[in-house]
Amino acid sequence: MLRADDLVFAHPGQPASYRFTLEAAPGQVTAISGASGSGKSTLLDLLAGFVHPASGRLTLDGVDLLPLAPEARPVSLLLQADNLFEHLSAEENARLGLPRGTPKAEAQERVASALAEVGLAGFAGKPAATLSGGQKQRVALARTLLRARAVLLLDEPFSALDDETRRTTRDLVGELTRRHGWHTVLVSHHADDIAALAEAHYRIVEGRLERV
Amino acid sequence: MLTLPHRPLRIAAATALTLLIAALIAAVLWAILDAATDAASGSRVDIPHLLRMTSLQAGLTMVLSLLVGTALAWALNRLRFFGRDLVVGLFAAAIVTPGMVVAFGLLSIWGRNGWINQATESLFGIRFDSPAYGLSGILLAHVVLDGAFAARILLARLDSIPQNRLKVGQSLGLSAWQRFVLIDWPALRGSLPGLGAIIFLLAFTSFPIVLLLGGGPANQTLEVAIYTAVRLDFDLVGAVRLALTQIAVCSIVILLASAFTPVPSALSRSAQPSWRDAAPVRVLQWLVLVIGTIGFALPLLSVLYDGLASGLLRVLGQASFWRATLTSLVIGASSALVTLALALILSLGRSAAHLPAARTLLGVPAYAYLAVPAVVLSLGFFLLVRALGVPGGMAAPVVVIFANSLLSLPFAIATLGPPLDAILRSRGKLIRSLGLSGWRQFAAIEYPLIGRDIGLMLALAFCFSLGDLGVIALFGTQDFQTLPLLMYRALGSYKSNDAAAIAALLLIFTIAAFVGLPRLLERIAHAPRR
Repeated sequence: MLRADDLVFAHPGQPASYRFTLEAAPGQVTAISGASGSGKSTLLDLLAGFVHPASGRLTLDGVDLLPLAPEARPVSLLLQADNLFEHLSAEENARLGLPRGTPKAEAQERVASALAEVGLAGFAGKPAATLSGGQKQRVALARTLLRARAVLLLDEPFSALDDETRRTTRDLVGELTRRHGWHTVLVSHHADDIAALAEAHYRIVEGRLERV
Repeated sequence: MLTLPHRPLRIAAATALTLLIAALIAAVLWAILDAATDAASGSRVDIPHLLRMTSLQAGLTMVLSLLVGTALAWALNRLRFFGRDLVVGLFAAAIVTPGMVVAFGLLSIWGRNGWINQATESLFGIRFDSPAYGLSGILLAHVVLDGAFAARILLARLDSIPQNRLKVGQSLGLSAWQRFVLIDWPALRGSLPGLGAIIFLLAFTSFPIVLLLGGGPANQTLEVAIYTAVRLDFDLVGAVRLALTQIAVCSIVILLASAFTPVPSALSRSAQPSWRDAAPVRVLQWLVLVIGTIGFALPLLSVLYDGLASGLLRVLGQASFWRATLTSLVIGASSALVTLALALILSLGRSAAHLPAARTLLGVPAYAYLAVPAVVLSLGFFLLVRALGVPGGMAAPVVVIFANSLLSLPFAIATLGPPLDAILRSRGKLIRSLGLSGWRQFAAIEYPLIGRDIGLMLALAFCFSLGDLGVIALFGTQDFQTLPLLMYRALGSYKSNDAAAIAALLLIFTIAAFVGLPRLLERIAHAPRR
């Protein structure tokens, strides 16, 4: 279980502070909604380790995550845009999810398998810049599969997609979360995404998380 | 495309000005060509050698400056420390720091009797051969200036990397090398060819540094050779041939450079989260930053120290100094105002024009200086004034002001053009719905929003003019001289204490203008930071 207990944070120079408490279960999508500027992205930054709380606890299955740097946390990220390095191919982008020093043959095999799992079997050599928005998100999901981290943080990942791509990518995220037992936290202001995907739902009101 | 109201007056004014500048440049080129065909006598200038030498130093300057600039930008992008803004501001000032002042500072540090030799002799009894003269000296001075300039431009590129990309990279645990290759390099590489071309042109047309540190004909460049041919050898034919060669090479480089991404002149502040590299890499970053900052700041500090310590009182007691100061300030202020008028007319006209061809045409005057550099422009004016029978003394102030304005024009247009375009893009519909046009549009919308940019542009133009030696060198007389010319003449008469004091005051004036003018205009215009 991913638990945030009373995580307190305030942006420098701003009087308003956040106080977050939540639980995200494995194999489930936990949705976070709230008005613009309510602190949704700040919550993800706290979970990912980009900002540090003044107090509180953050644990995964009892292990304290707060002392860990972002790269050391068991966390993968999927943002609205800029998830891929445009000058690399789909395969090269996905391969960044593997530990350094993975033998070339093994890496090729695992990348091919991950790309196939997200429905991009024939796309390995394609430059990221030539992929559509939905394909880019799928490559990022393939990289998440290869990283094999227990927590997946999603920040408005479907906002830039058309309706059809949005539905298929959303279904894929739900399916991968269940299959791999990820603790997926989805930040979204789209009620239909939350309704279709989330097993738990919190709303941020005045800097606090309220269970819906 | 926004359905903006037509602005025929703005476009007509810009078109008329473009044609006027084109006619003037054509007259200057005609004067040069006419002198070339009229002249019957031979010339002793060795163009192949000069071309080889100029290209070599400009090419080496370009490569070394890009390397130094990339390393410094990388270190500055990563490190957060008290005084960082000051270091960034110091590098931003490189573009306006007079070449003469830097050259003089390098002589203070690395010269035969410079600080390094004095220190090593008193400590270890050893003296080094001075690297401040000849090709090494020219390269050192150019890399100090252009490396700092490159660092500021490239830092802006690194600072504009999307935060999401950095978050993904940090979350993936990229190593320092992977981070550079995957995130930094793609952000930098688009700017490198354009920036490289600008540095090549700046070095190719460099005048005061080569004049002061060149150390003789072996290291001369085309620009200095033109000056020598006109002022010292009275070889007009040689000067004209050199000028034509210079124009040809610069035009080719500009044509090649125009295919590259333009280099932005507006530099944003960094708002990136801190992503620290591993400890050994941070040690390397600090090393790069300390060496780079000392390399750039020490010559300037030595100029201030030497100048304010020794000959200041003597110089302040000289009538010629006060005359030269007044001339410099009047010429600097006048050419800054003329540049502002030219740049505003051209930029407003260009932003109002919808047709791509019209926008291209109205952008042409910006390239005038780059194709026809300072000494060549002066030579053309010099010949033109002579052909028209105008007394040199009468024409000199007007020519110097106008030539300096043309020299500043590319930087002025690069500073004012993009924000004016952005205002029309973001507020075009509002302007139309409010029925604003003409002066009301400028006074209510454009001026307040570009107040700081106008200040920056005025500061750039003022500083360029204040530090110019290329134009004044051909037109200056005993009665009409600016601070750089006075300093050059003091050096020529072995009055190095006087030269040091003038260099220090020139540096203080430049820094005061570069720092003060943008803030002053921002306050006057009540301009918000965009």
